[in-house]
Amino acid sequence: MRNIFEVQFAALFLAASLAQGAAADHIGIIKTLAGEVVVERAGRFIKAEPNLKLYLADVINTGADGKTGLILEDDTVISMGFNSSLALKSFQFQPSEKKLSFIARIYHGTASFISGQIAKLAPSLVHIETPHATVGVRGTHVLIRVD
Amino acid sequence: MHATLRLTLLLFLITLSFGCAKRTLVALAPDPDGKVGSVYVTNEAGEVALDAPYQATSIGATRQRPTKPENLGREKIAGIFAEALSIQPARPRHFLLYFDRDVSLTSESAELLPGIIAAIRERNSADISVVGHTDTVGSREYNTELSKRRAASVRDLLVGLGVAAETIRTTSHGKENPLIPTADNVSEPRNRRVEVDVR
Repeated sequence: MRNIFEVQFAALFLAASLAQGAAADHIGIIKTLAGEVVVERAGRFIKAEPNLKLYLADVINTGADGKTGLILEDDTVISMGFNSSLALKSFQFQPSEKKLSFIARIYHGTASFISGQIAKLAPSLVHIETPHATVGVRGTHVLIRVD
Repeated sequence: MHATLRLTLLLFLITLSFGCAKRTLVALAPDPDGKVGSVYVTNEAGEVALDAPYQATSIGATRQRPTKPENLGREKIAGIFAEALSIQPARPRHFLLYFDRDVSLTSESAELLPGIIAAIRERNSADISVVGHTDTVGSREYNTELSKRRAASVRDLLVGLGVAAETIRTTSHGKENPLIPTADNVSEPRNRRVEVDVR
């Protein structure tokens, strides 16, 4: 129940930022996948395929036979197992403007994270939120399961 | 009215019971190159640090302290995360190109270009970053501009070698992302570079 609210909130948030005309660059790509993988973007569902560009506030969902691997612009590598759901909540990788942050949220399922350059430059600004706790990632390889 | 109330209460109880059954497991593993980092698991009840390989903690509620770190061992972790690990993409290929000055590549770096093209083909990459950097000599504005020109020159070289321009994104980090951290106004050849990331 709570998960659904959170997903809806993320979608609303994205809708609001799109309404403001914030044309943004992609922040990563789907690199590998098998089975059913769907990206939820502003209330729409996009079937994932290799090299699909990912944007801020995207929620990546894998089905019962789905798994996928993502690479973000700072070299963060994320992979997700079956029945998993993960949102890319914040991503800033502009060292020249001292804008750095990465926040992902895992709603359920399994995920592996290998942190990238943001964690190297700003170790205190990389967080993975889970329903029960927040994980501060100083580096490098962290695995999370949410039942 | 009563029916609605009962339904609401029922839904609330279902939510509560599902909420209680859920748990989060957080584990630390060595990097692909063998190093071990650290993570901090925090909620309303406290914080636990993981800093040894295959250490894990589990959390049942936001108001329940994460459990004391326990070494689950490599095999158990590999089992729990088998599906996610089986689809883990290869890390991006990373290339460093150095500059004599301004925007002219060193001859050693120019020789790396065919290897970059090969990596793009091999990975079937449609997402390539070309990021310009400088050393710390000069103002922030000057270096942002210089790193922009460096990135553009490498992009042009790659496009000249047949890479589709729309798959390349150029950015500039100025002097803010040095390879070798130095004080301000230090001439450091290893920081005068463009990094090419092939995803």
